[in-house]
Amino acid sequence: MSMYPIATTTVGSGGSTGVTFSSIPQNFTHLQIRYSVRGTNSGTNDFTYVQLNGDGGNNYARHHMQGDGSSAISFGQTGSGIGAIWAAQVPFASTTSNVFGSGIIDILDYTNTNKNKTVRSIGGFDANGSGYANLSSGVWMNTSAITSILVSYPNYAQYTTVSLYGITTSSVTGA
Amino acid sequence: MSVFLQPIYTQTVGSGGASSITFNNIPQTFTDLKIVVSTRMNNASTLGYTTIRFNGDTASTLYSYTYLDANLGGGPSSSRSSGNPWFLNVPGASSTTNTFSNSEVYIPNYTSSNYKQGILDTTGENNATSGAWLTEYASLYRSTSPITSITLNDLFNSASFVQYSTFSLYGVLRQGV
Repeated sequence: MSMYPIATTTVGSGGSTGVTFSSIPQNFTHLQIRYSVRGTNSGTNDFTYVQLNGDGGNNYARHHMQGDGSSAISFGQTGSGIGAIWAAQVPFASTTSNVFGSGIIDILDYTNTNKNKTVRSIGGFDANGSGYANLSSGVWMNTSAITSILVSYPNYAQYTTVSLYGITTSSVTGA
Repeated sequence: MSVFLQPIYTQTVGSGGASSITFNNIPQTFTDLKIVVSTRMNNASTLGYTTIRFNGDTASTLYSYTYLDANLGGGPSSSRSSGNPWFLNVPGASSTTNTFSNSEVYIPNYTSSNYKQGILDTTGENNATSGAWLTEYASLYRSTSPITSITLNDLFNSASFVQYSTFSLYGVLRQGV
């Protein structure tokens, strides 16, 4: 076995602006986050964001490609005012009821102090007439081992779930 | 819990770099294969091309792919190619220091006597609004032989993988719960 559940958070009735995984074990090789999310905000939809080790500074570059069922676009950002990496877009208040978006976020070699940390994600949602398919990536310009991850959104709705897994490159005794 | 993802091999590139990585004698006891790659190449560009070939087959007629790609200097595009091996877009020497790819290859039914299909997701990140790559490939290997070895190297046979690059091969078992 090489994939192990580390933690799961389910958002309660009050909603939440984010899920933080702290004190992440350092004995895996890769990390993977799997999520099912919905927002309560009105207006326009937004992304799920990934922030590493509590760093909200100007230390990220992020890039994104999406299709909305009729066209595709791509764009990127770097420099000031970023503070996190994009993951997929999230259904929000005006999206069809009970529709949750899903996604998978991969972070490789998260304890390797010779590498900046690159995050790649796929995700999106379909709401029977609207929706997005997304492929995103970003880099945190820091070689520190990742010890905490914030997965955030302006306001996650109840029943949103975010799970963190550790992946090894060797079998773990007793697993 | 089911044993569904099993590590088979991992290679980490040492200080001298590596011109190629090969996984030989791949066990035939799984249903699917997954390759996870975190690499950077030493070619003088923001972009490097890591090819993937199987069973030592170099004949161009065996490989083809269709892709959706965003070079963040421009909009997304989609195209296809025949005659080139499978490959991953990864950072080259001109990309941001210490930045490596985040790439995954999934190959279902690798022991099948049908042609082999793969899905590749890869990112060549860079600290710039442009000059970074996001790509998803659907790729075909037109061989009816089981996959017993996988080789990764530079598309142009001139660049190498740099130190700290990692390549991991997993076996996936699809089994009932």
